Amino acid sequence: MTGALVVARRELTGLFMAPFTWIVLLVVLLLNGLLFNTFLISSSGNVSATLEGSMTGLGFWVWMVFLPALLAMRLIAEESRNGTLEYLLTAPVGDFAVVFGKFLAATAFLGLVWTSALVYAGTLHWVGGAPDWPAVIGTWIGTLLVSGLFVSIGMLASTFTATPLLAAFLSMVACVLWLFLPWMVMRGLSYVLPFLADTGAKQELIAQKVTGVVASMDAVRHFQRSFQLGVLDTAEVVFFVTWTGLFLFLTARSLEARRWRG
Amino acid sequence: MIEVAHLTRRYGSATAVDDLSFQVAKGEVVGFLGPNGAGKTTTMRILAGYLPATRAERLVVAGHDVLRDSMEVRKAIGYLPESVPLYPELRVEEMMRFQGRLHRMSRQDLRTRIGEVLERVGVLDRRKQLVGTLSRGLKQRVGLAVALLPNPEVLILDEPTSGLDPIQRGQVRKLITELSSEHTVLLSSHILAEIESMAPRVIIIHEGQKVADGSQAEIVQALGAGEAGGGGGHVLVEAAAPAEPEAMAKMIETLDGVETVSVGARVGIHHTFRVGGQGDLREDIGALAMTQGWALRELTWKRPTLEQIFTRLVIGDVTGSEEGDAAAPSSASASASAAGPAASISGASGLEISGESSPGEAEPLPLGTPGTAKSKTIYSLNPFDRGASRDLSKPVTVDPDPAAPIDLEGPGGDA
Repeated sequence: MTGALVVARRELTGLFMAPFTWIVLLVVLLLNGLLFNTFLISSSGNVSATLEGSMTGLGFWVWMVFLPALLAMRLIAEESRNGTLEYLLTAPVGDFAVVFGKFLAATAFLGLVWTSALVYAGTLHWVGGAPDWPAVIGTWIGTLLVSGLFVSIGMLASTFTATPLLAAFLSMVACVLWLFLPWMVMRGLSYVLPFLADTGAKQELIAQKVTGVVASMDAVRHFQRSFQLGVLDTAEVVFFVTWTGLFLFLTARSLEARRWRG
Repeated sequence: MIEVAHLTRRYGSATAVDDLSFQVAKGEVVGFLGPNGAGKTTTMRILAGYLPATRAERLVVAGHDVLRDSMEVRKAIGYLPESVPLYPELRVEEMMRFQGRLHRMSRQDLRTRIGEVLERVGVLDRRKQLVGTLSRGLKQRVGLAVALLPNPEVLILDEPTSGLDPIQRGQVRKLITELSSEHTVLLSSHILAEIESMAPRVIIIHEGQKVADGSQAEIVQALGAGEAGGGGGHVLVEAAAPAEPEAMAKMIETLDGVETVSVGARVGIHHTFRVGGQGDLREDIGALAMTQGWALRELTWKRPTLEQIFTRLVIGDVTGSEEGDAAAPSSASASASAAGPAASISGASGLEISGESSPGEAEPLPLGTPGTAKSKTIYSLNPFDRGASRDLSKPVTVDPDPAAPIDLEGPGGDA
């Protein structure tokens, strides 16, 4: 754990030393602020609607796909290009500590970015609005969990290539696929089911089964039905934490596989 | 301090390190010498715990098994890869602190040690500078400082002087020589001068196998005997006499310590001889010339340098470039070794016995005759490599090379 924290600390230092990070921060905060402003005006001052729009709307999910990918792309790909990966993997810390440290750093940075929403809510509270605080904080925590999941996907992509941009692209595709998976499966199912009718299969049953499986993978729904309402459901927390853990594990394995390839 | 026994590493079907065994005692400085792609870096990476070995009987660094106890090994070594990996966005001091934290050094310890180490490598005045803005030479020093920070028992330095200008190279060399008093050092280079000045003991590897191991004098002594005569050298004699050159050669041959005499070309009225034997024979030959009334024009003791031996081991060149006729034999032997590279060096490891196994073909031929290049094949006659020293219960990995069985049927056939 100490090793992971040491790696995370270095990673954060490195992040804040890079001009790239500040540019990203600037752009994200600026656009987020503009979006917030737009929501506030279009809802004619409805505090809850504004916060929900800026914290869970389409804009939010777009950021969710882009930012973790951009942050995670360099975590391993760049180190492998600089050769520093050899340094890190011969230091007295385990592979998983390295992976976890990097993950912690990237997720902490994203947490900082999303804190802007808390600032908006605080501002509204200060000027006399009545934001739904449980929902705001619940959303923020959920956002952290989703960020973590997407960072872990991005890191796995980052171990596959030494080109950061390619890693970012890979992880964006993976995240978009994940988010659209339920929709795509349902869409596909609606084409396939009529053909199955002729074979005498129980359409209803199949549809039910598939829907059940797909729904359990639906990250957006998991997010919407708990965190967004201000409910911290352990089942949903476990969902995100488990998938994140799986991708981190795969990342560590992928790093080990690199050693074998040499 | 470092023990490697029967280490093999493959990348797919390519074998980078092939059954390599060596030991480094505590406080020793050992230089790995070999052409690019000989397996130096791979061996070092395996020792540092970066790459796993495909097969190894024993792999121990600083008393810990590299495969089972990787963390302990990593704590005990300072490893500097060839690329000198440092984070360009950190300052020198920050980089050092990161290394210290990775090695769980206490804050107090870290503070004093950073100053000490930076002072030692001579970059104390650069400690606030960003690593990315350092020159190549300074970066190399900082890399060394990072490796030295936890005061490791073993230093593994991969090409510590590559890419430096001659002055920087000299400085790094001096630094490493200083370090050798406190640490066990394993370093690699493909530059001979470097190894010669830094490491008292040299291990020459070629195509993943150990070709020679010993102090430079030992290697020169033992492997220099490959061609005419032993003793790691020969005496060039150029003399004019009324006698026939063959008669002169016979006379020289009667001298104590002379093993071979070959008659070279005739230069004007002078005959040239090449006398091989034990030690410096110049005085004896000079005395003989005096008693016989020969007019001596040249009497030189030629000893092969490590460079010539290295070149010969690697490309199969017999004579050094100083003979002037190196071109022909080298090309001939190069093609010969290309025909069966695995066979010609496959058994080459035991330097101690290679001298004994060679005199079978010590027929004195005019030197430089194309085709007479006695290349690495000499060392493949080592009877011990494929036999006694190998654990026969283990499967022997012999490359599917048609020439290899012939090798086995040789003196080592009794295995």
